[in-house]
Amino acid sequence: MNHDEVVATLTTVFRQRLNSPDLVLSPELTAADVPGWDSLAHINLILAVEKAFSIRIATRDVRGMKNVGDFISLIEKKLA
Amino acid sequence: MLNLRVSHDYLELMARAADLSTAHCKRRIRLAILADFATQHLVQLLRVLGAEHGVDLDIYEADYDSIDLEVHDGDSGLYRAQPEFIAIMVASEKLKAKFYNSQERAGFVAAMVDRYRGLWEAVALQCNATIIQSTYVIPSERAFGNFELKQPESMGSVFAAINQGLVEAARNSKSVQLCDLDHLAAEIGRRQWFDAGRWAMSKTLCALDYLPLVAQAMLDVVMASSGFFVKCVALDLDNTLWGGIIGDDGVGGIVLGGYDEGESFVSFQRFIADLKRRGIILAVVSKNEESNALLPFREHPEMVLKESDISVFIANWENKADNLRTIQRILNIGYDSIVFIDDNPFERNIVRQYLPGVIVPELSDDPTEYLGILARLNLFETASYSAADSKRGEQYRDEAQRELTKSRYTDVGEYLQSLTMQLSLEHFKPANLARIAQLIQRSNQFNLVTNRYNEAQCGALATDSTYLPFTITLRDKFGDYGLISVIVLRLDTDALVIEEYLMSCRVLKRTVEQFAMNRIFEKAAQLGLNTVIGHYVPTAKNEMVRQFYAGFGFTEHEADEGGKVTWSMPVSEYIPQKSYITLIADEL
Repeated sequence: MNHDEVVATLTTVFRQRLNSPDLVLSPELTAADVPGWDSLAHINLILAVEKAFSIRIATRDVRGMKNVGDFISLIEKKLA
Repeated sequence: MLNLRVSHDYLELMARAADLSTAHCKRRIRLAILADFATQHLVQLLRVLGAEHGVDLDIYEADYDSIDLEVHDGDSGLYRAQPEFIAIMVASEKLKAKFYNSQERAGFVAAMVDRYRGLWEAVALQCNATIIQSTYVIPSERAFGNFELKQPESMGSVFAAINQGLVEAARNSKSVQLCDLDHLAAEIGRRQWFDAGRWAMSKTLCALDYLPLVAQAMLDVVMASSGFFVKCVALDLDNTLWGGIIGDDGVGGIVLGGYDEGESFVSFQRFIADLKRRGIILAVVSKNEESNALLPFREHPEMVLKESDISVFIANWENKADNLRTIQRILNIGYDSIVFIDDNPFERNIVRQYLPGVIVPELSDDPTEYLGILARLNLFETASYSAADSKRGEQYRDEAQRELTKSRYTDVGEYLQSLTMQLSLEHFKPANLARIAQLIQRSNQFNLVTNRYNEAQCGALATDSTYLPFTITLRDKFGDYGLISVIVLRLDTDALVIEEYLMSCRVLKRTVEQFAMNRIFEKAAQLGLNTVIGHYVPTAKNEMVRQFYAGFGFTEHEADEGGKVTWSMPVSEYIPQKSYITLIADEL
């Protein structure tokens, strides 16, 4: 899966889980920028990302994630 | 009603939580959740699943890990929310921490069970809510390996002992129901169940994929305690209770007993027989000549179910939806309390199409899987059990015979006379409380006020001198109907108030209501009271008694904002009604 494919899949996941059909992801995007991205939604996002990419995200991985860019690089690292 | 098509996919349910509509729900139930883990996800799941089953759950979610604070503070948000149900849900991780920190392992089990008993008692002092107490999931890790259970102070032994202590305390409590998380976790497998990463990150009880099952288990308890539960199982015969076609293969040719599939059919029948013993009515709906359909019941040595276990036996070539309508009419229960079990997809779909309320599990084409499928669906939830339940099947068999006798009489009075009905009026007493509470939970249609008094509340009514709570039991020449009606009277300054009046629909049109009303007015006259007052509170199911008091000549008063209608009648104006019943015991 190349970078664009990762971003496309992640966009679908975010749009679905945050109930926001027009959301556009950028690496700098953080929870504070998106209405509805609260701690409850965050846990659901992690589960949805795990399922969409068939990866496992550990507790320590989550701690380091500050924005969408961190999400993308984590996924790419796990897929590599 | 039970909805078998509901998904238990976590993300799908959570997605639906965002714009959940409860407009279609016929029932609103107030539930409080106290837990020592994070409950935000669980609450969302409960709301969605509740709506799927037609229940609008109004949930009070206590702060994280505040169980004792909420319960012991009489002015807490918990009690202000006036919940009908209080779920106390507990995580093993929290218990592990307490266990490892405890100085005195020997006394740990008793201390923990006492803590819960104390919580339950504190709740009972404040309100009448039913408590739903979870068990603890026994952890995977074992410091002693297989020796764990031989050592009473090991963590595994202690957790098991605490669960057992909770079970025994709950058995002795009328207002506590159990939600068995340990059973659920064992079903899934402990290794899959607990997700240590998610616990560390967000204090979630279990892997999120299984959280919908926790919500469903809680909802199952709430629904059964609120009167929604299965009352009848209607069974197909060929390839459902035995392998093969009795009309073609004959008694010697059907597959039943021995090994292979024959053994599975026996196991399946054993489970069905156990359901009958616990009070579920069995019916047969088979496309067969009746004489053929009965053959295995009479002649096959491996048949577990006997002819006498089946309350309504229908074998013909009619459409099964029509036959289920007949069963529904004879038993006088809701379609949504009937489970229809048939191996044939065509028959299942006909029933789903014409009788959407009927619960129709999707069976496998492999009969060895039938029992597992029923187990997973957890269709047979109940909130109570009493010895009388095991006789329910017989009562309905008697009823089917009465239906036949009735057709021989042209005059209803003559028919009722021929039944030689005998009735007893009994004050609420300890021996009957379980049965009374159960009838109160089961009765939906002939129920004027639908006060769901639980067993403890019934006990309190029995000793309150301002109340005259009594039961009616009835028998006739065909058999014993058992306890069929509960009436709660309250003495007011100048009136006798009927606070609750409910009756089993099995005895409609037997003149029991007329007999009871005559007795109520006699009692009012004896006490020197001038008026009898009754109430009607409409629900989704009690339309049949909307005009109950009008039938006796009561005067209707304007309904209050909750829809409650008051009816009254001066004692001097009452005209005694005709009935065909002999009174054999009178404790009113």
